Amino acid sequence: MQGVVIPISMIPGDSIIHQMNPLPKLTWAVGILAVSFATRNPAVLGAAFILGLLLVLVAQVGGAYLKVVMVLLPVSLALITLQSIAPAFPRPWTPIIGFGPFTIYQEGVYSGISMALRIFSMTTWAMVFIMTSHPSDIFTSLKQVGMPYVLNFILIMTLQLIPILQNEFRVVLNAQKSRAMKGTGFGALLPSMVPVFVGAIERVQQLSISLESRAFGSTGQKTSYRRVRISVWDVLNLIMAVVITAGTTYWVVVDKSLEWSRTLVFGQVFSISLVTISTLGFLTYLGLAVYLVARS
Amino acid sequence: MEPIIKVENLTHIYSTGNVVAVKDVSLEINPGEILGVIGQNGSGKTTLVKHFIGLLKPTKGKVYVSGIDVSHQRVQQMAAKVGYVYQNPNHQLFARTVRDELAFGPKNIGLSDEEVEERVVQAVKFFNLEEFLELHPYRISFPLRKLVGMASIYTMRPDVFILDEPTTGQDNITTQTVYRLIHKLRDEGATVLCVAHDMILLAEVVDRMLVLRDSELIMDATPREVFSNYEVMSSTHLTPPQITTLSLRLKERYQLLDQTALSIDEMVGAVKNLSKQ
Repeated sequence: MQGVVIPISMIPGDSIIHQMNPLPKLTWAVGILAVSFATRNPAVLGAAFILGLLLVLVAQVGGAYLKVVMVLLPVSLALITLQSIAPAFPRPWTPIIGFGPFTIYQEGVYSGISMALRIFSMTTWAMVFIMTSHPSDIFTSLKQVGMPYVLNFILIMTLQLIPILQNEFRVVLNAQKSRAMKGTGFGALLPSMVPVFVGAIERVQQLSISLESRAFGSTGQKTSYRRVRISVWDVLNLIMAVVITAGTTYWVVVDKSLEWSRTLVFGQVFSISLVTISTLGFLTYLGLAVYLVARS
Repeated sequence: MEPIIKVENLTHIYSTGNVVAVKDVSLEINPGEILGVIGQNGSGKTTLVKHFIGLLKPTKGKVYVSGIDVSHQRVQQMAAKVGYVYQNPNHQLFARTVRDELAFGPKNIGLSDEEVEERVVQAVKFFNLEEFLELHPYRISFPLRKLVGMASIYTMRPDVFILDEPTTGQDNITTQTVYRLIHKLRDEGATVLCVAHDMILLAEVVDRMLVLRDSELIMDATPREVFSNYEVMSSTHLTPPQITTLSLRLKERYQLLDQTALSIDEMVGAVKNLSKQ
């Protein structure tokens, strides 16, 4: 049993972005997230996305980023199709063209494009952050700015437990198949889940004992194996991140002229092509997925 | 005699990291043979035996069990022929009672309720599990769980038993039960493969040993021959049982004994012979 492994982890490198302190990078990612949710304007979202792409190039994490895109693409394509015919947008909707029971709406196409761009702008920035920062550095920096050690530790342990549990599940499934268990359906649920969960609970119990025997929870100054330096440039970068993203968020919320849902008019040809391409793209993905699952 | 397991030029490369875990291994196993599979951790023992039940498919080469090409079979189909007892019983125990746990396998291979019941009764008797039958498997001690794990495969009566580290970390009672189990399986004509680091167990129960080193099968011989081969033993960082080492020293360095002893009984016999001379 081999699942699709999405490489959401650090890609080692020595680009200028890799060398940055994780805190300003995190601030940028969170700031862009706020901006992305604060506006529907395609130009603003598109600009954020393109800036993010530039960072991907500078950080030289393109290969891993593309794999993430491959996962996001079908979701975005499906969103464009669904939004175009059933917009998540306040009525009234302006029809562009109808075919059969479906009608493509002006607001729908606008909303679909916005949502797809929103997904891409925020994930691109988040990916640049995650793929250029060592997890330990992230947590060490968070500790420096006052994140409680125990909370930090819980986060790290949870992240580490995921691959362990995946592996455990594989072993358990093999063990039950060796006892001729049917590999699928509800009947397979109990025999494969019970050992994984019991194992996880036992593991946590053992972990807590071993942690306490190694002075977890002792008070006083803690040292860290990895040192995270914060330079003047990092401080400036952090200030820039806060000012620029907060400013942009304020601007996109206040400036009503950014509401383009009625001014940016989509033609019939454009709308039909967009919806057709999105639908076909999504269905191709779906077909490919079904084929791969059936073949394994 | 038709071999029950036939391996032809088997190579297995794990897709993650391109690790060659088994390299060009060929061998035949006859029905009723008791084999030990030894080698250091990471030498490819488990990878090799997992092919026999179809948990892994060959990258190159063929594996046949009773003449059937395993690469086209599902694990569930192979399970009636080949039983795999996992090292850690916790990976398979899930039922509410030990009884349900033992009945899971035979039910899956489609036996009638009477047959399942009969097999559970036989297994319970053999593994001395009477008083634990209605308990939850997680309420009994780890060595007992290990026995339940073995018993849950025993109820399926496969032709081939694969025991992965059956005695590691076990108390004396469990270890003795493993010895009894292997002898009983031998009497019933089953084929047994024992993947183990427990050289004392192997010296006493197996007829033939497969030695793996760096993914290759480097020796296929009797325990006596394997333990006497210094080159193989030292290059695989394995040590014979103390009694065997003692007899080898007495035999080769001091020419006192004329045979290699695999057990205390054999040593006693050899010393008796010596005193007669």
